[in-house]
Amino acid sequence: MTLAQRGRWITGVALLLLAGVYVRALVFTPEEIHQGLAQKIFYVHAPAAWSAMLSMGLVGLSSILFLLVKDPRYDRFAAASAEVGTAFSVVMLTTGPIWGKTIWGTWWTWDARLTLTLFLFFLFLGYLLLRGAVTEPGLRARYSAVLGICGLVLLPFIHLSVYLFRTLHPAPIVLKPSAPSLPPEMLVTLLCSFGVFTLLYVGFVTLRYAIGDGGERDA
Amino acid sequence: MPDTMPQNGAYMVAAYIDAAVILLVYALFLFRRSRRSS
Amino acid sequence: MRKTLRHAWIVARKDLLLEFRSRTAILSAVVFTALVLVIFEFGRDPTAIATLDLAPSILWVTFSFAAMLGLNRAFQAELENQALDGLLLAPVSRISLYWGKLLANLAFVAVVETVGLLLFTLFFNVPVGHILLPLVGVIALATTGFIAVGTLFSAMVIRTRFAELMLPVLLLPFLIPPLVGAVQVTAKLLAGRPLSEVGGWLRLLLAYDIVFVSLASILFPSTVTE
Repeated sequence: MTLAQRGRWITGVALLLLAGVYVRALVFTPEEIHQGLAQKIFYVHAPAAWSAMLSMGLVGLSSILFLLVKDPRYDRFAAASAEVGTAFSVVMLTTGPIWGKTIWGTWWTWDARLTLTLFLFFLFLGYLLLRGAVTEPGLRARYSAVLGICGLVLLPFIHLSVYLFRTLHPAPIVLKPSAPSLPPEMLVTLLCSFGVFTLLYVGFVTLRYAIGDGGERDA
Repeated sequence: MPDTMPQNGAYMVAAYIDAAVILLVYALFLFRRSRRSS
Repeated sequence: MRKTLRHAWIVARKDLLLEFRSRTAILSAVVFTALVLVIFEFGRDPTAIATLDLAPSILWVTFSFAAMLGLNRAFQAELENQALDGLLLAPVSRISLYWGKLLANLAFVAVVETVGLLLFTLFFNVPVGHILLPLVGVIALATTGFIAVGTLFSAMVIRTRFAELMLPVLLLPFLIPPLVGAVQVTAKLLAGRPLSEVGGWLRLLLAYDIVFVSLASILFPSTVTE
């Protein structure tokens, strides 16, 4: 089985499982009485955020390995992970405000989580733009690696600065966000969703890696 | 704190559809490209 | 270590001498800074919003522009003279090269920020004498943060298409932690809050500087090695 075929299989299975998670979350998981149905957005938003973070983490790791070992496969993997991460970021960035509107009453607030998602998206975008703007593959790989590593190191700082900011300027809360301790049915749904989103990441990255430069030549 | 559950089902539907569309479109996009280059 | 610093100083001197001889960039940067401040001054209504509320934002918008101008100037000079290629032939380590550029950029921006701060206190009647030391400290910390990452990215962006657009686009996320911290600390200082309240932010700024100057020093060679 070629890598592309394997990628298609994994992605296909992950998408089917995603449908399963949808059904479980929408129909078989109890509702949260204080937040209403919108609380269920959590089962999609949080795993998407996890996949986006995973993508960025692996971009960073792969970038470090590339600079150390100079194996172009690490660069190819980093590029794949970045594109996949962008897709998950868009999911995160769109579902976040929709959920936020029900919690805070506004579409946007400079809350730690939302802000981090926004800047994660900008980082991915910058990474892809940089790759698009450099034609020579060796140079492109090195520049991307530098940006990837800087981006990874930046994330904790963004989180810290927004966290510090927010502890002094709390966002208005109309409804309390979900409590840390979830009843078992909700926890199971959440964990299933995390698993499926992780599998989806694997599928997407495999496919994107298999496509490799074939896609980038078009960019 | 409201006594009854807030009526925000529409948001949930919007978010779920939005996520599904993005992921499906991206998956299709990858599938297409993978067939072209392999 | 000493050799690295000495070489860095030589690289910085070359950049600064070039700048000093033409003086166009620094003059236009200073004029632009003054212009920004004047616009803020005319745009506000002192009876509606207290100066102290706006002051930190005005100051930091001005300083951010100064930093971007400084980075762009360095970058234009490279593009025109292909000075970077010449420097790479010199028996100077890559790290010295980075530090040299960093120092030159910092010096340039420092001059513009000094003038900016003076004009600011003049136009807006904001007394800063009693907090001058911590204020200068936070300005130095935040600016170092911008310029450390900016200098690294400038080196990369030169060889890309749409170079002038790429630099701000890539840099934006990296400006956020130092900027947020700087604005917060400046606001607290101007409001007369005790230094202990801004300890957290100052530590964040310092950590950011240490981490990114180190990281940029390590990564810079990768951007210029063939």
